[in-house]
Amino acid sequence: MTYDVNFGWTGTIGNVLLGATKADGGSREVSYRIGGGTTLPFLEKPVGVKSPLIAFEICDNPVYWSPIIRNYCGDLLDDLSGWTKAADKQYGVDLIRLYLTSTKQRNFSEMAAVGRAVETVLSSTGLPLVIEGSNEPRIDSEVFQKCGETGQGERLLLGTAEASRYRSIAAAALAYDHSVIAQSPIDINLAKQLNILLREIGVRHDHIVIDPYTGTLGYGFEYSYSAMERIRYSALKGDVDLAMPMICSAIDALTVKEVREADPVIQDEMAVTWEFYTGLAAAVAGAEILCVRHPKTIPMLRAALEGMQAGAGRAGTAGGQ
Amino acid sequence: MPTVTFLPSYRKIDVERGCTILDAAQRAGLNVNVICGGQGKCGKCVMFVQAGKTSFDLQKYFRFFNEDEIRRGACLACVTSVDGDIQVTIPESSLIQEQKILITREDLPIEFRPSVRKFYVQLQPPSLADPSPDLSRLLWGIQKSGGPVAEKMYAPLEVLREIPGILRHSDWKVTGTIALVPGGYRLIDLQENDTAMRLYGAAVDLGSTTIVVYLWDLVTGKVVGIASNYNKQISCGEDILARVNFARKNGLAKLQALAVESINTALTSAADNAGIDREDIYEVVIAGNTVMTHMLLGIDPAYMIAEPYVPVVRRALSVAASRIGIACNQNCGLFAFPAVSDFIGGDIIADILACGMAEREEISLMIDIGTNFEVVLGNREWMFSCAGAAGPALEGGEVLFGMRANPGAIEKVTIDPTTLAPAYTTINSAKPRGITGSGLIDLLAEMLVAGIIDRTGRINTGIENDRVRKGDHFPEFVVVWERETAIGKDIVITENDIKNLIMSKASVHAACVTLMKEAGVTRHEIATIYFAGAFGNYLDKKNATIIGIIPEIGIDHVRNIGNGAVAGANMALINRSKRKTLDEIAYKIAYIELNAEPSFMEEYTSSAFLPHTDLTLFPAVQEELEATRNHGKE
Amino acid sequence: MALKALDIYKLLPKKNCKECGDPTCLTFAMKLAGGKADVEFCPYLSDEAKSLLGATTRPPIRLVKIGVGERSFGVGEEFVFYRHEKTFYHPPGIIFRLKDAQTAEEIIAVTKRVRDESLIRVGMELRFNGIAIENESGTPERFADAVAAIERTADLPLVLISKNPDALRAALVHCGTYRPLLHAATRANAKEMCALAKQHGCPLAIRSNGLDELAQLAKDCCAEGLQDLVLDLAPVTLGDFVTATTVIRQLAITRTAPELGYPIYLDATLTDQEDAAIALGIVKYASVIVLSPLSQASSKAALTLRQNVYTDPQKPIQMNPGLYRIGSPGKDAPVLLTVNFSLTFFTLEGYLESTRVPSFMLIVDTEGLSVLTAVAAGKLNETLVRDAIKKFDVENEVSHRKLIIPGYASPLSGRIEEATGWKVQVGPRDAADIGEYLHEEWK
Repeated sequence: MTYDVNFGWTGTIGNVLLGATKADGGSREVSYRIGGGTTLPFLEKPVGVKSPLIAFEICDNPVYWSPIIRNYCGDLLDDLSGWTKAADKQYGVDLIRLYLTSTKQRNFSEMAAVGRAVETVLSSTGLPLVIEGSNEPRIDSEVFQKCGETGQGERLLLGTAEASRYRSIAAAALAYDHSVIAQSPIDINLAKQLNILLREIGVRHDHIVIDPYTGTLGYGFEYSYSAMERIRYSALKGDVDLAMPMICSAIDALTVKEVREADPVIQDEMAVTWEFYTGLAAAVAGAEILCVRHPKTIPMLRAALEGMQAGAGRAGTAGGQ
Repeated sequence: MPTVTFLPSYRKIDVERGCTILDAAQRAGLNVNVICGGQGKCGKCVMFVQAGKTSFDLQKYFRFFNEDEIRRGACLACVTSVDGDIQVTIPESSLIQEQKILITREDLPIEFRPSVRKFYVQLQPPSLADPSPDLSRLLWGIQKSGGPVAEKMYAPLEVLREIPGILRHSDWKVTGTIALVPGGYRLIDLQENDTAMRLYGAAVDLGSTTIVVYLWDLVTGKVVGIASNYNKQISCGEDILARVNFARKNGLAKLQALAVESINTALTSAADNAGIDREDIYEVVIAGNTVMTHMLLGIDPAYMIAEPYVPVVRRALSVAASRIGIACNQNCGLFAFPAVSDFIGGDIIADILACGMAEREEISLMIDIGTNFEVVLGNREWMFSCAGAAGPALEGGEVLFGMRANPGAIEKVTIDPTTLAPAYTTINSAKPRGITGSGLIDLLAEMLVAGIIDRTGRINTGIENDRVRKGDHFPEFVVVWERETAIGKDIVITENDIKNLIMSKASVHAACVTLMKEAGVTRHEIATIYFAGAFGNYLDKKNATIIGIIPEIGIDHVRNIGNGAVAGANMALINRSKRKTLDEIAYKIAYIELNAEPSFMEEYTSSAFLPHTDLTLFPAVQEELEATRNHGKE
Repeated sequence: MALKALDIYKLLPKKNCKECGDPTCLTFAMKLAGGKADVEFCPYLSDEAKSLLGATTRPPIRLVKIGVGERSFGVGEEFVFYRHEKTFYHPPGIIFRLKDAQTAEEIIAVTKRVRDESLIRVGMELRFNGIAIENESGTPERFADAVAAIERTADLPLVLISKNPDALRAALVHCGTYRPLLHAATRANAKEMCALAKQHGCPLAIRSNGLDELAQLAKDCCAEGLQDLVLDLAPVTLGDFVTATTVIRQLAITRTAPELGYPIYLDATLTDQEDAAIALGIVKYASVIVLSPLSQASSKAALTLRQNVYTDPQKPIQMNPGLYRIGSPGKDAPVLLTVNFSLTFFTLEGYLESTRVPSFMLIVDTEGLSVLTAVAAGKLNETLVRDAIKKFDVENEVSHRKLIIPGYASPLSGRIEEATGWKVQVGPRDAADIGEYLHEEWK
């Protein structure tokens, strides 16, 4: 007797292409195709897909960055190019996610600086990029326009569209053929609604990555985890408006009390552990891009993900159909 | 006693010192707008003291007035007391305006079997050879004239006392009125001579806003008069909660009296119009929500509005109408509809009776929308019900230019998809002053189809059109330009208004889905959706489906039953066997507390989208939206 | 799938006799569907209907109790595959692993740690659950001594790990009546292990990395009269574990393979990625997780993750409403209004602490709903705010009358001002921006 599990899935997670190599008209050394799953995460190994990916988060104005990273990386934070290169060559990540934190300054209007930051990162790495634009509706349109334009041809992943502000980012993505992160506050319905809104103004499903919003471990992760599971479940059950890959970024991981107030001797370890537990559990729930800010989290996550893939599909008993 | 004179009508009333101006105005018969129930909170009962002495703490309430108003003697009538003879001007805005009230004439194919009947009898006077008592003689006579079996009839003491005199004075020609009551047949009245053709009954919808009365000739089975008027309790608080709070502060007697007075006013005008005497009304059937029914009967409703929400009584009640002050025959009976819970009251049981869902095998969904909504799903075997707050948006409240169905209210709207120019009709074709609930639903649907708003209701401010603009606080859409209005400013709908509307519609739809899930019923299994209440009658069924208030089952299967409360009351009045089923219906209905239902919030979120997050629930709407969008692109 | 109220109603006698305590058969059916009533309450139910209804209420995964007394814990008795379908009920035991070859001091030190250490989070005390001791020495005597040392130190649930029934027998002399989990029966020693477990009334772990063999073992043990089983899949990689545990859970929950309806055992020390194994075990259905004594960081993360995953997703953890102080706020300190959803509370609290602006948090009872949903559902309203200001005596705590409300509550600002008489300032939507907001807007 052999046990066979039939989940009755009918859907497939859609593919999203991150980055464009020379062959595709860009300048990236690699590009990734994520998505393609036909069952729960790690029960199969989709062909031609690299996932989950680990993204390293950096920013163009480190005033807004965690002092833990400042302590660990030192002056690297003030050198956007060097930071990018370190992430690529030393830390060994798959993706770079640039936060344009400079736009947080009051009355920010230096669009040229936005373009320069994006250009710096593009020229310092051959990895595909995720770019986080402004957080301020007043300048959204210009910032996204600038990012889109600067990264033309590179198939960036632009963030972040929300139900209350998605038109300007969508416009930039459509104009320059980039993809979009669609973020909703830990709710499967709101996630789906945003995907429908984006579709209706022309953003194709294969250009959307869902960000269900990750509350970090202990601070909402219980909701994020289930939101991700539900999104994956609904997608596999055939809901095409939810059948996109997901991104997980626990941006609070370094600011929560446990990490912030940790004994300085183990603060790095706390930070890494917090990022690691959150990221790994999110991957099991279905996240395909795992964002981290501490360089030391990367090898730990990498090893765990490899360990998980070691069994994937081997049991032969847990296939999708 | 000081005299209060109200301007501009010069209505005068004497009141004791210390009485509030509001009280005085109400005693003078003026319908003052008091939403908060007289607590000095809502600022609606603004009046201007022209002359005389009053006490009013201006400091405490000055935020309601501007300088000019203060100079002119502004005060809040509910917290200003009379210290001597005064003259007060009431601005029109502080009075409740007469509104368009829904009166329908539903055809009622109901078997005519009233529970009260009259019998004219000519009796043989007693003799030594036939010395049987007066009562037996009378009852035998009634039985012989087609009445019930004599043994099953009885006479209450008050009638018994009248019998010997009336029989002899009328030379043994009398008319007896027999009512079917739980214990048998009761002789409720005895009149001299033949009055058998003068037998009337009234069916009453006791609403929290309006009272509707249907007067029936119980001999011919015809409606002879209809009347409606405002529920005068509104001066003690606009919504139920405000009134219960009013009742708590020793106001129950006043509320009870106002409810009776409202019914009496309607009864009188219906009787006057029909040219009949109220003394000939022998039966009154009342359908009202649980709180209203309690108040009418003078039963304390206070325990119903706080946990664990217990009404004093649920079952149908029969009492003597005169005991609560209803102005009709002193022996008239009053029948009050039963309730399911604090929220599902006699009005809803009447709706159920009116739409007939409790008699059929097929499944129906019945929705009664006002500020609160009630939903009932089921068939003759089982029924689930729930209730919730829809918020006032669907009735035009909490919307910048929302208004009730008064003259000048926009009630239907279409929008030209190219020019975005709205075309509209208003009540009484008056110049527009605002938008009613039905108009708002049209607007929402039309704006969605025209792409002015997205499915979350956000206005696309990128559209280049004068009517789409950023607004002071929220993006807005101009429905009517200033020059066309009666109010001297642009009538707009703002993104915030739309949000309130979507929240309201989401509550209603989520309630429907929650019941459907509880029962395990899909939209395909629902044969008919009934809309009850004034709101439903003006509603465009198609637009209601487009924005997703109700499940999509095809508009041919959606019916408006209009005022179901009065329709149900009518049925119970003219057919006594219907009345017997009411307790059974009420008993059969299971009540689901939405707040205790963990899935309700989830349903609510997925319903807060136009028409719904799950587009497969609205295939026809989706098809139409896609068609118009594609058409637009070509 | 659980039956709907109406499906159940159809099986009921429809007499509305009230003998079950409910007014009608329909309301009784609703309670049955919600798991709030017992079929036995109905005196008129046919046996056929009873078994039909009863079958859906018996737990698909057996409840197994490990240990006795205060620190004992139950695992299993789960009903769903996804926690969002209902909730997960029995959090996995986190068990520190020791070897009898270690010194008595080491063994006692770790035992004391498990006995004493706890973490308070969101008002809950989180603890490790027990000690696993392995018979590494190979001698029954040493094993028995180690167990005796543990028993002298603490009353903790134990896992006894040995292939050798004699060693277990020797250890059980010291702890045989305290329901330790015996690890493990394999095909080779099943009979003897079963006899031992049966004799002492202990739960038994059965071990195999083949699902078929594991199922056969379970059946065999059952045949021997043992019901309290725990399944050890002996995973070689993390991937193996996730795959196998997913399959078992699904088969058990759907009652496709009732022979696999037992809690799952995971020895995290067998992988070289212990943290990863622990995290996976917690989210993916492990019920007993055996691991090396954890570092401080891993302890906090593991206990927190377990608390997260085993929280009822439909019942948010709530804070008590009240006025909370950040730092030592004076009479002129800002008052920030928010809801009693614990996550909102802790997030805002965290950011407020890092702003170093002493302040008050006014927490109102929105039944655990977040700001956005509480506003939408009308749970956050002006009356609630007014009453809270009164109840918590805020007017005497501060000299000003300014209230900062969450950005998502902005539609209520006017009404709150009206009801409270306080000046309302609309704060940011995201708690992360509160520092910037206070620095710029609060003067």
